[in-house]
Amino acid sequence: MKLDEKTNYIVSGLERSGTSMLMQILYTGDIEISFDNSRKSDDNNPRGYFELNGGKIINLLINGDFEFDKYKAKFIKITAYGLKFLPPGKYKIIYCERNIEEVLDSMEKMMGIKDRNREDTKKSFIALNNMIKKKINNRKDTKILYIYYNDILLDPEKNIKKILNFLNLSYQNLDKMKAVVDKNLYRQRK
Amino acid sequence: MNEKKEKEYANVKIPTALAKKIKKRIEGTEFTSISSYVTYILGEILSDAEEKTEETFTKEDEEKVKNRLRALGYLD
Repeated sequence: MKLDEKTNYIVSGLERSGTSMLMQILYTGDIEISFDNSRKSDDNNPRGYFELNGGKIINLLINGDFEFDKYKAKFIKITAYGLKFLPPGKYKIIYCERNIEEVLDSMEKMMGIKDRNREDTKKSFIALNNMIKKKINNRKDTKILYIYYNDILLDPEKNIKKILNFLNLSYQNLDKMKAVVDKNLYRQRK
Repeated sequence: MNEKKEKEYANVKIPTALAKKIKKRIEGTEFTSISSYVTYILGEILSDAEEKTEETFTKEDEEKVKNRLRALGYLD
């Protein structure tokens, strides 16, 4: 399915908020996405990370070295902090949100640690999320769709239709896309 | 501020060299004029300055986030 050739498309959100699942939904729906396999799938993301540059695209953004022109009309994944360094352009962003406790649980599991300063970490990530949302909401070159991870698991059809409407695409691959939402992945839920 | 007021503008002079740089930077973007880009950037700077007086994303928060992103493999 074709996206606008003048627009950069981004899946974003805090790390461990469902961004990889969203990328996989898009990929399955024959929507063009760009990623490499520099970070292999693992127990934390059994279906893959769908990232560029091994997930370290943020370094390129900070240095102003990321070539957005090469990625027009396709989705790339840039997690929330990277959006702080987004140059002027024309963007459509699907921003994934998830319960912060689940995000932190998932991060700790991925790192194999128990965060002794979890409340401080939580405060910092909430502040990051709020700052980034405010920043992108204020941009005139950006259109945003917010998707809630927990909602998409509960009602995939409604949420995937929201995504397709946001992208001005038909529902022809809706069933395939819905099938991606594997409730078994929802391991961190409390 | 009423609608009429919101549509009022003031002229600001910037160096020609800077205007040329901005013109190049906004090519192919959603910014249709140098004025719209300058307005956006100035709004961002003022908004950031105002936020510093509120509880917001501090330098300390940023360092914590960056350390966590390094640990997760999202940042060098």
